[in-house]
Amino acid sequence: MIRNNDHISPYQLAMIIIMTVIGVGVFNLVHIVAKHGGNDGWLIMLALGIVHILLAFLLIKLSCRFPGKTFPEYIQEIIGVIPGKLLVLAISAYIMMNLAYEVREFTEVAKMFLLPRTPTEVIIFALILVCVYVVRGGVESVARIAEITFPILFIPFFLVLIPGLPGLDMTNLLPVGSDLGVKFQRMIPHAPHAFRGIEYILFFIGFMERPQRAFKPVAWGLIFVTFFYVLISIIGLSAFGAKAATKAIWPLLIYIRNINVPGLFLERLDGIILSLWVITVFTTIVTGFFIVTYSLSKVFNTQEQKQFALPLMIFIYYLALQPAGLAELYKWGDWTFKYISSIFMYVIPIAAFAIAALRGLGVKKDEDF
Amino acid sequence: MGLFTRRKMAEKTKDESYKIQSTTSLDENLEKIKLLLTDCEDVIYKEFRVGVEQNLKFAVIFTDGLVNKEFINDSILADLMYHAREIPPEAPVLKDELFKLVRYGSIPSPEMKEITSLDDAVMAILTGDTVMLIDGTANIIVVGTKGWPARGVSEPSTEGVIRGPREGFTETYRFNSALVRRRIRDPRLKLNQMQIGRRSVTDIGIMYIEDIAQPELVEEVKRRLKTIDIDAILDSGYIEELIEDNPYSIFPTIKATERPDKVAAALFQGKVAILVDNTPFALIVPATFNAFFHAAEDHYIRWIPATILRMIRFIAGTLSLITPALYIAVTSYHPGILPTELVLSIAAARDGVPFPAVIEALILEITFELLREAGVRLPAIIGGVIGIVGGLVIGQAAVEAGIVSPIMVIIVAVTAISSFSIPDYGFSTAFRLFRFLLILASGFLGLYGMVLGLLLMLGHLVRLKSFGTPYLTPFVAFAASDLKDTIVRLPIFMMRDRPVGLAKDKIRMKNNRPEIKQTSGDKEKGKGEENHDKK
Repeated sequence: MIRNNDHISPYQLAMIIIMTVIGVGVFNLVHIVAKHGGNDGWLIMLALGIVHILLAFLLIKLSCRFPGKTFPEYIQEIIGVIPGKLLVLAISAYIMMNLAYEVREFTEVAKMFLLPRTPTEVIIFALILVCVYVVRGGVESVARIAEITFPILFIPFFLVLIPGLPGLDMTNLLPVGSDLGVKFQRMIPHAPHAFRGIEYILFFIGFMERPQRAFKPVAWGLIFVTFFYVLISIIGLSAFGAKAATKAIWPLLIYIRNINVPGLFLERLDGIILSLWVITVFTTIVTGFFIVTYSLSKVFNTQEQKQFALPLMIFIYYLALQPAGLAELYKWGDWTFKYISSIFMYVIPIAAFAIAALRGLGVKKDEDF
Repeated sequence: MGLFTRRKMAEKTKDESYKIQSTTSLDENLEKIKLLLTDCEDVIYKEFRVGVEQNLKFAVIFTDGLVNKEFINDSILADLMYHAREIPPEAPVLKDELFKLVRYGSIPSPEMKEITSLDDAVMAILTGDTVMLIDGTANIIVVGTKGWPARGVSEPSTEGVIRGPREGFTETYRFNSALVRRRIRDPRLKLNQMQIGRRSVTDIGIMYIEDIAQPELVEEVKRRLKTIDIDAILDSGYIEELIEDNPYSIFPTIKATERPDKVAAALFQGKVAILVDNTPFALIVPATFNAFFHAAEDHYIRWIPATILRMIRFIAGTLSLITPALYIAVTSYHPGILPTELVLSIAAARDGVPFPAVIEALILEITFELLREAGVRLPAIIGGVIGIVGGLVIGQAAVEAGIVSPIMVIIVAVTAISSFSIPDYGFSTAFRLFRFLLILASGFLGLYGMVLGLLLMLGHLVRLKSFGTPYLTPFVAFAASDLKDTIVRLPIFMMRDRPVGLAKDKIRMKNNRPEIKQTSGDKEKGKGEENHDKK
């Protein structure tokens, strides 16, 4: 019938948000939370979640000014064609780095727990190749992948967490709320580590038939993400205590490894969870990768985006192989998320919004809410 | 221009003006038809004369074997040859009115039409109709006399049910359309006919219910069918391959079925059915992933067993995909997942097997595929031999010879049984093929490879569409109300709406169930039910 390959539904938008923001970083999250937030890390996570929901609303407001258009299209209106295109290229480069980081981090986890003897190159290559296939399908495929993998991923994940709950020691969370200000301050620079990916909605809202309807799904999506992070933080902190949690790189995986289900014919669940976790890495890469190819198609004014997928794959592959090991990867990662991510996540969208508002571009009032 | 050149031009351009027109002379017409049908020795020409003076020349032409000869004898020849003599000889009147007399008065047949082109006449002859030429008029009468040996309506062999109608489609198009029509006595059930195939000229029927099916869908089906330009359509498989959205996919995106009740159910959901002559398989579009897991019976048995059967089927589908891959991944890459005793017993069973688990799995899977294929082609009498050879000789002997481990035999057997519980054959084939990819993937990369393989499959499935409907609907393009007929099958009185996005008229029923009074007296109970029936 009508080959409408350019619409996503509100429900799909929520799924995209969840599957994009929750990535391989979850394994590392408890470590970071414990390190900077101490035993109140979960409270800080909650606060950061709320802040990011508000930020997301700002991004939606920006998109609502230009209904039916995506960020690479309207940024050219806001700051001019050439600067706009350069900015989009810069964002694409940043997202590529992000993806490469994601791929590499997962590869390191997989090498540690699943495939100790398989070369890094093979693991990375296989993963990106599958992603390319989906990205070539266009925005609808990307949205549907997010939609269908959500239950496949989270239902087993939560089921696995349940049997470990009685072993938690909630007293590890006490005292609640001491030195909150200091902890908060130390945690803020690491917020992008958890929430990077929400700026992608600038691109995806443009595919909605009515951008005004994006508030609800985005809010629900981010509420889920925040809830998930808080839950993971509470589990990690109460299972190990703040001090011990900083000792391990991936406390969550160690927690899962120690879950024992009596009567089940599986002994160690970390392998299962990790292979399921491929899915979230996969969706994170697919959404980001799609944005890059889409942005390039807007920069070079081509009709389709799919021809960019295969060549770009080589770049991601190359970037992902750059860090020599896990230590170097995390060192680079910390630096990137502290500074570069903040620019792309907060500074640029807010600046774009301010400029658009000052210049009075686009639709000013969202009429039918 | 010669006759055959004109004919070819008419075929090529579909231009009416190229058709050979008939003349008033019977001899000339007859000669031309004979020329067009040179060397077609199954065509019978019967020339006869009518009237008291025997001066009115007639000819009937038909194809032997395609017609009902008794009807031609009793209702055409007998009437004209004998009864015409009883008419008083008013020659001049008769001569002018001859055509009208014959057309409207002499032949007791409900199916008659007149044409003026010899091409159409030839086509009518080859379809099984009888063509009657009358001297002195250019109008040709075509009498419907189709009647050939046809297989009767019998139980469909590929889609059996325990409860439900046992009628299946046959090779005769007209029977098939009637079988559907019998289930839908609604004037809004439309049947549009067209003919496809330059040489085969196969009848194709497009069926839909006017105010349920989306008009865009119907138009799209018609548009795609009209673009087909091929010499012959021998089965609906031809049509399927020519009009499907994704011909390069291994997953079918059009459903083929032998069951008229399935077609009717699909029409009631707003789908469109395509009936093709000469094949008992009708096509249903759009077809989704979900629909291929449904058996006709699911809506005839009670809903709780139906739901459980559905779940078993979905589990079977998953098992048939991943069982061997999972076994390979776990045993050769991640034995730590399993409890120690189980690992030890697997290791003991595999002791002495010279191959890695992947090769072992491939050997057995390929053997099984060979057996299956051999079993399909063999006549039923020898079919049992395959079971003996396969099950006993190969299975038992391979284990005893130490080529494969007994656990692998169990795994392959479970996979095979699971893949047979997927109701649609073409669909289970897709699953079978994908299984091999997963075996290879998990052989190379363990669980990680298996999950990547599954993601590749998901990625492929989300890209598929069937006539505008995403293949994974309703799991994607999420509409919670459509989940009522997926892995679960809710009671019929809860399925009040037709599928969202497919049907135009969404309301299926207003009142779900009559109020059933729980009274003790038998008499009152009977009364209550009667009242509700009246409602």
